Amino acid sequence: MDLTRFLRLLESHGADLRRWPADDAAAARALLAQSAEARTYLQRAAGVEDALRASRSLPDAAALERMRAHVARHVARAPLPVRPGLLHWLRPLLPMGGGALAALAACGLWLMLASPVPLDDAGFNAPRQLAMIESTD
Amino acid sequence: MAVLLRIKEENHGGPMFLLSLPFTAPPGRSEPLTPPRTEAQAVLNRDRAAATDEALLAWSAAGDRLAFDQLSLRHLPRLYQLAHRITGDAAAAEDVAQEAMLRVWQAAARFDPERAKFGTWLHRIATNLAIDRTRQARHTAPAPDDTLPAPGPSPEQQAATRQQRDRVVAALQEMPARQRAALALFYDQEMEGAQAAAALSVSTRGLEGLLRRARRFLAGKLED
Repeated sequence: MDLTRFLRLLESHGADLRRWPADDAAAARALLAQSAEARTYLQRAAGVEDALRASRSLPDAAALERMRAHVARHVARAPLPVRPGLLHWLRPLLPMGGGALAALAACGLWLMLASPVPLDDAGFNAPRQLAMIESTD
Repeated sequence: MAVLLRIKEENHGGPMFLLSLPFTAPPGRSEPLTPPRTEAQAVLNRDRAAATDEALLAWSAAGDRLAFDQLSLRHLPRLYQLAHRITGDAAAAEDVAQEAMLRVWQAAARFDPERAKFGTWLHRIATNLAIDRTRQARHTAPAPDDTLPAPGPSPEQQAATRQQRDRVVAALQEMPARQRAALALFYDQEMEGAQAAAALSVSTRGLEGLLRRARRFLAGKLED
């Protein structure tokens, strides 16, 4: 591992080598044993992380009690959690249902707006002609 | 049918139901007048302090509000810490932590432990709420925060620590909220990369990118 790759990994995984991928951590330890520059970069990164950890804040006891009471008060009056019903499991199929409805609406619109098909007069006359033939017999 | 067992009553604001137990009527009787003693006793005697998060959530989904209270007690400090890191504001952090727990209550019955870890799911809810909150209050300057832990022993050390902390807090405020969230999940919550990525709804490489930019930014600000 060279210094450039070490610095890249240092920025990606942080200064704690235990949180690095095992192979990279082993290579980094080998580099750190040889390179004073790598050790300086690691110490600098560790310093930034220490400063970050030192700046975190926990709630004091009063704030914690206030939050807990707030949650308990609301939960005590809230309805019970709703179990997923059949509709919940059918939700992934909603797009399919929506598509079918859209297709149906398009068909209906097309039927309403389309001009009627011209009918053949001969078709209407056929029963009449049959009746005339039968009456002449 | 469900029978509500009233454990505690407030003087103002009406009754509070801390347990709702599902009871079935015995044969030959349409409705039970009182819950079966053994079942109610078993619920009351649950060892909530020793139960896992998943067990507490399952009990909560069945109406055990005491189990949910235990869950709140266990997770509110971490949720507050996470929200405070993202929002940079104590009052906003309280709101976010409370709201996250209330969302958990509403969705308790829908949580599937086979699909996600409880911790990841909870942190995802809180992270999203905190990031939304930050976006809403983007133009509002963060209020000075007195909730930070007490600095080191000697006056010089106290001053140096305080100065360093102020610089970190100021640098974090200039950082995008998602980078702050990545730092909070990785360092404050000490989550594994994959778990933190899931809580942020990004890939592992995406999380590494966020952390890389955040570390570079922070280091640059602290070296100035």
